[in-house]
Amino acid sequence: MLGLTNKIGKIYVYTSTLISAAVVFLIFTILLLNSWSAISNVGLDLINLSWNPSKGEFGIISMLFGTFVVTFIALVISIPLGVFTAIFTSEILASKYRFFVKSILELLAGIPSIIYGLIGIAFLSIWFQDLFDLQSGRTLLTAGILLSVMILPTIITLTDDAFHNIPNKYRETAKGLGLYNSEIIKEVLVPIAKADVKSAILLAFGRALGETMAVMLVIGSIDKLPNPIYNWLSPGQTITSKLGREIAETSFGSIHFSAMIFMGLLLFSVVLLLTIIAQNSSKKTERLYE
Amino acid sequence: MNRKLKNNLFTYATWIAVITCAAILLFLFGVILWNGLPAINFNFLTEAASDFGASGGIIHQITGSVLLVIFSALICLPIAIGTAIYKSEYVKSKKLHTLINTLIYSLNGIPSLIFGIFGLILFVNILGMGVSWIVGSIILAMMILPTVTLSTYHSINSIPTVYRESSMALGLTKWQTISKVLLPQGFSGAITGLLIGVARAIGETAPIMFIATAFSGVAFPSSLLEPVSTLPTHILALAQQATNPAALQNAWGTSLVLVSLVVLFSITALCIRLKHQAISKR
Repeated sequence: MLGLTNKIGKIYVYTSTLISAAVVFLIFTILLLNSWSAISNVGLDLINLSWNPSKGEFGIISMLFGTFVVTFIALVISIPLGVFTAIFTSEILASKYRFFVKSILELLAGIPSIIYGLIGIAFLSIWFQDLFDLQSGRTLLTAGILLSVMILPTIITLTDDAFHNIPNKYRETAKGLGLYNSEIIKEVLVPIAKADVKSAILLAFGRALGETMAVMLVIGSIDKLPNPIYNWLSPGQTITSKLGREIAETSFGSIHFSAMIFMGLLLFSVVLLLTIIAQNSSKKTERLYE
Repeated sequence: MNRKLKNNLFTYATWIAVITCAAILLFLFGVILWNGLPAINFNFLTEAASDFGASGGIIHQITGSVLLVIFSALICLPIAIGTAIYKSEYVKSKKLHTLINTLIYSLNGIPSLIFGIFGLILFVNILGMGVSWIVGSIILAMMILPTVTLSTYHSINSIPTVYRESSMALGLTKWQTISKVLLPQGFSGAITGLLIGVARAIGETAPIMFIATAFSGVAFPSSLLEPVSTLPTHILALAQQATNPAALQNAWGTSLVLVSLVVLFSITALCIRLKHQAISKR
């Protein structure tokens, strides 16, 4: 009887692990199978400028470009802002307030993305409209700025951990040598924390790529490259906003549907790669903290 | 430039960054409270939505959201506990452990929209379940699986080895050790993880918007295969008619209710974690 429950327990544990492990593969397989008809029928024409399902044109370049621009803007703003704030919370702020700051950051990270979208529609896009005298404030830049606010908590909290995990002896030794605070941070702490900060940025990058709701509401959803190409105050489209807006209205099994899933597969692969690189790059620092 | 000046410039830079972040934070919470509070009253919380959400309340959205996340928690919990036990107690080879870790972190990193598309293809179309709330619960359960698994794993794994050795020495089988000694102590980790996961799941729109929800004319579902209406998708629908002030007002009210639920779950999780830490330190 005891042997039996032991066995049942073991079976339960193995089965649930198999289920957890299988989910990622299952998602990948489903995406690959369903994007196959686009890959085989449209092929290299997927890398094209015009997206027009009624004419059978499925060029995804403008979506890729939009995704790239929006993520780029978000990272350019949030990396310096986030890293400097993290240096403040970890190195300058007294450690008794750390718990408070961490809790606030967790709350901030918990605000659902749809609410950022609502704030983007109700405030940010209207400000942009007035500020730059545009027809509509829903632009690539609006989406990028909104996105930078959304990934800020991720960058701050992970970078703060990276700095906070450095043992105090490094700081004390550097201080004993007569270095200023900024020099300690720049010359001693940053080199040690670098790998972890890099993985924090990669994770934030992945999150920015996959963010849907807020971007979808403020980007304007037009499948065209901006004209001229550096005019980021014009509406655009990202992979996520395209999928979010159109997938429900596309008939299952058509080439149109398949081309959309192909974009999803691209997004999935890139984000997965980023996550795995981030996970591996943060491990290398373990040696330092003996 | 001398060293002192550089040091001062650096300090100013960090202060500017912090003040900017604090201003953003104040703005976000300020806007949600300032716009949300006037919209909320007893009727708003207890009435059904009417006039495409522009008037009436959000009772069905609240029940729909809660229903979705409760069932996702129920689906997720047994699988997460099993995986955590395997990770902590059964797996022996280091390579296999790394592989499972990578898979769990990958699952955690997958964009929420991809889960929605996956659900749309597999459950709604291939398995023919249609747009139904149980599909939404299954998909949300997949999304929160890594959070719950890792939290459970950490609390089981941090139990000192001496507990395992003592119970083995008493002649307990491996499963008895796990179910009688380790799980009761590790359970708080599972609950913490579950609450954090649920706090995340209840705010998600992208994974459920085409597989589990309908906008208008939805009451409490009477079977597994019916759509529900949820708080985030309600906000989405209202945000798209942002020119109508009444709809926008209700969108802010719904947002405040949603944020309150998220905060409630997060704070409960925090309290359980703190309480557990206080005990384990003694």
